[in-house]
Amino acid sequence: MTFFNLTGASLGWEHSRRRAYLAGLLPALVVLGAITLLPALFLLAVSLTPLSLVKPGTAFDFSDPLGNYRELLWDGRFHNSVLLQLHLSTVSVALQLAVGLGVALLLNVRSRFFEAIRAAFLIPMVLPPIVVALIWKILYTPDVSPLYRVLDSVGLPVDSLITDPALAIWAIGVAETWQWFPFTMLMVLATLQLIPDDPLEAARIDGANRWQVFRHITLAYLRPALVVCGLFRLIDSFKAFPLIYVLTNGGPGSATEVTNFYGFIEAFNFSYWGYASAIAVIMLLGVFAVSWLVGRLGWNEVHHD
Amino acid sequence: MTQTPSFSRRHLLAGAAALGGGLLLPGKAPAIGGTKPFVGTTLNVSTFNAPFARILTKWLPEFEDATGAKVVYDTPSFPVYNQRADLELSTGGASYDVLNITFIYSSRWINAGWFTPLDDYIRDANQTPADWAADWDVEDFLPGLRASESDRSGRLYGIPWTVDTFVAGASRFDLFKAAGIGLPDTTDDLVTALKAVHGKERVAGFVTDNHYGWTFVPFLQAFGGNVFRNPPDDLTPTLDTPEAAAAAEYFARLLKEFGPNGVLSYTEDQALQALQAGRANYTAIGQTYLSQVGAAHSKTAATVAYGPVVRGPAGRFPGVATHGLGIPAASKNKDAAWAFIQWALSKKNTRRAIVEERYASPTRRTDFASAEFKQIATLNGYDLAEIIASSVDLAARQGHMKYRTVPVYPQVDQQLNKAIANIASGQLSAREALAQAQANSITELKRAGVAI
Amino acid sequence: MTDVLPIPAKPLRARVDVRSSRRPWPLLKGRRIGLHVAALALLLAVLFPFLWMVQMAFRPADDVLGDALLFRPTLENFASLWQGTFPRSFVNSLLVSTLSTATSLALGVPAAYVLSRWCFRARGRVSLWILATRMAPPIAFTIPFFLAYRWVGLQDTVIGLALIYMTFNISIVIWFMQTFFAAIPKALEEAAWIDGCGVWQAFWRVTLPLAAPGLAATAVFCFIFSWNDFFFALILTRTNAITAPVAITNFLQYEGWEWGKIAAGGTLVMLPVLVFTLLVRKYLVRGLTAGGLK
Repeated sequence: MTFFNLTGASLGWEHSRRRAYLAGLLPALVVLGAITLLPALFLLAVSLTPLSLVKPGTAFDFSDPLGNYRELLWDGRFHNSVLLQLHLSTVSVALQLAVGLGVALLLNVRSRFFEAIRAAFLIPMVLPPIVVALIWKILYTPDVSPLYRVLDSVGLPVDSLITDPALAIWAIGVAETWQWFPFTMLMVLATLQLIPDDPLEAARIDGANRWQVFRHITLAYLRPALVVCGLFRLIDSFKAFPLIYVLTNGGPGSATEVTNFYGFIEAFNFSYWGYASAIAVIMLLGVFAVSWLVGRLGWNEVHHD
Repeated sequence: MTQTPSFSRRHLLAGAAALGGGLLLPGKAPAIGGTKPFVGTTLNVSTFNAPFARILTKWLPEFEDATGAKVVYDTPSFPVYNQRADLELSTGGASYDVLNITFIYSSRWINAGWFTPLDDYIRDANQTPADWAADWDVEDFLPGLRASESDRSGRLYGIPWTVDTFVAGASRFDLFKAAGIGLPDTTDDLVTALKAVHGKERVAGFVTDNHYGWTFVPFLQAFGGNVFRNPPDDLTPTLDTPEAAAAAEYFARLLKEFGPNGVLSYTEDQALQALQAGRANYTAIGQTYLSQVGAAHSKTAATVAYGPVVRGPAGRFPGVATHGLGIPAASKNKDAAWAFIQWALSKKNTRRAIVEERYASPTRRTDFASAEFKQIATLNGYDLAEIIASSVDLAARQGHMKYRTVPVYPQVDQQLNKAIANIASGQLSAREALAQAQANSITELKRAGVAI
Repeated sequence: MTDVLPIPAKPLRARVDVRSSRRPWPLLKGRRIGLHVAALALLLAVLFPFLWMVQMAFRPADDVLGDALLFRPTLENFASLWQGTFPRSFVNSLLVSTLSTATSLALGVPAAYVLSRWCFRARGRVSLWILATRMAPPIAFTIPFFLAYRWVGLQDTVIGLALIYMTFNISIVIWFMQTFFAAIPKALEEAAWIDGCGVWQAFWRVTLPLAAPGLAATAVFCFIFSWNDFFFALILTRTNAITAPVAITNFLQYEGWEWGKIAAGGTLVMLPVLVFTLLVRKYLVRGLTAGGLK
């Protein structure tokens, strides 16, 4: 913003510019505030009541504001859902980073052919999540899936993954990875192309082998991108819904009932709005914590150079 | 009902229904005079997807032509339907004009006042013409079914369109015969038989749908257990009894040892598909579905056998459920909605469903007794009509519907679903899973304000 | 962070870098062919699930689960979709996505411009808040919106759905457009200002035309995100405003014999997204990388 001095603009110009900027910024902020901050406050208020539309008179009942939160402390199904959420998030984010990094390294060649291939790899990422869920429903349903038929015909029948309590969450993680590894791939490719040649050359001249160069130089350059990527995907993984809704519906038993899904059931199946709001508030706090971490790791500092 | 119709709808409706029934009654046609009572009305109808819904969808143009109404008929799967309808009703939404009153929700929905009482419509000559009784006659619907569509004071809220009772069947009975066994009569016989036929010619021995809050209960009761102590008066759950544990262990074993790959994710449709394709053999599910194993397009139509459900230590408990069409209290097109219900379940159309579409789930006494039903329900030489009639009768005498018509049943239903899935997938022992279901059910009941 | 990843701050230079950068490692000819084959094989493996569904959509009903690669393709699955309520949901999806995209752009583009040019004190916090709104789990918005819509009668309406999509679309616009604006030299506006243009006049005449490709890409993004939504539409629509992704789930009950229809529905729903992606693939990569790395 050294710009003002250069132009030598008058104070009046600067003033009107400020006003113009405000006029451009405010409408968006006001609308965004109205549709995000207000609902958030509303959510917080509802979470302090036992609101259930089935029971009249629960709407403005603030007599026991922390009742829902206290109940959450003792709700085994909620605790289970949080653990599952962490499990699913860890599995899917780790797989996404690993696969994304691997594919990116393989495709890091400059040629027309590879450029076309890279674009094709992005397809899963833009597909509607519900379509991704349907695709994997086809693959995971034993009597429909081509994979099961192949395995069956070579004499290696496999039990249904989505009805196996130990594997169902992995099955969802794999489907999630399929959709989102291209994101990591994209980030890594972009970063790879920004790595200056000099240190690589220098290391090679010093006799470092491929692995050492990758480990000590390439990876060092990639690390920040991977961290940010991982955090972004971590936040998004809290939202996983269509996959679970279509593939397992939270089952078998409660084996894939993650927090988001549990909140959905409490609100929209059982009409316990107050309780579901408390779950949503907890989720919001979790997401804010991760967002804050993203902020700390450098998001948005770029314009202050 | 709040407004007086500006003209007498009586003849119009009669004509409409006559048209809808595919019969033009002489003398009624002029009264229609080309006037369609509901031009411009869009009627939103939703039921879960079931054979009857598919039949009605096919016939819709007849109703639309006769009345001028446009019908949007939405048929999601059973769990999705229930979730959506419950959400819509509990929030007083007016998106739907005709909804299915799902059996397990009937008490919750009806007693909360979310549906419109139909008695006034039935009595009102403008809505339901008196001379039309020959084609309508609400008394013709089985009294037991109407009872479950009524509130505590006896007002009627839904007209039953299906009755589902558990019947046993073996799609590949030839495999049973080859092993020298008949259709099992007791729970012990069943295990012996399944051991003999499971895996033969790559056919799984047993299949059922994963709505265990429905499919498990006949077994639970056969072992002497029950869901509640004495519904609807004493709603203390009785899931942690030794009888319940024995039943759950038995049932989960059927799924685990004799079920097809991935059976825990099977819905009714998938189970039916497996039976029709000959991928699974024995089952005990509702006759609406099971009867289709004997339908012409089924690959196993020539090998299927039917019989009553197995008898356990405590006896035979076929179980029964019914679903009805009702009008949400918030609907803005109640008159048209009522016209739709009358049309859908007129005597002519219920009979026509049997004759033309081989619909095997009649709710009218006259349909049950009809030669047409007897004929279509005779499948591969088995008199399914007789099995259904005696099962419905037995279940009614046992008061089977009582436990499912308590307002909190949806929550307990889900606990049962989870418990069986947990046992069959090896996550918990029967005792642990049921203890958990018992504790959770009590929590849910208390949360819903039920005194136990 | 910025030292290592200068894309957002200096996108133009970054692009030049990309063009001039050499292969990280010299490749021998044999290795090169091997690499091509490996990449192609991997691509096929990755796209297999997707391709399998598409081929299912074209199979005749009695052979929908067949494995033979040779079959007579048919459009009967698509035709049967077109008879039900599916077309209406498709139109709803188009309406909602377009409406939400247009409003989000109208509000978000000027805001993004300001945020890329004006360094006020609360700027960091404002940006973080905008980011956080995108991060919030949908259920946190669904509950209050559902309850509120019940009162104001916006339930099951296209407008109501378009409004809730703005909760994530506005931040997407601000977020992506900031990077595109940052890439445009300030000197150009500066010149316009000296010529007597006001801030928004200069923006309209100079900056926005230069950012047009970025604007198009951002619009496509908003459209795709709205189009792809499942959760909000599942909760907030019934019959009137039901969108295509929710409508497909209605076929799920036919499990066992309607797989062709499911596959055809899935194929139709992803079609617009694929077409749009193809159109703006160059900017898609840039937009996503910039957004993600920021």
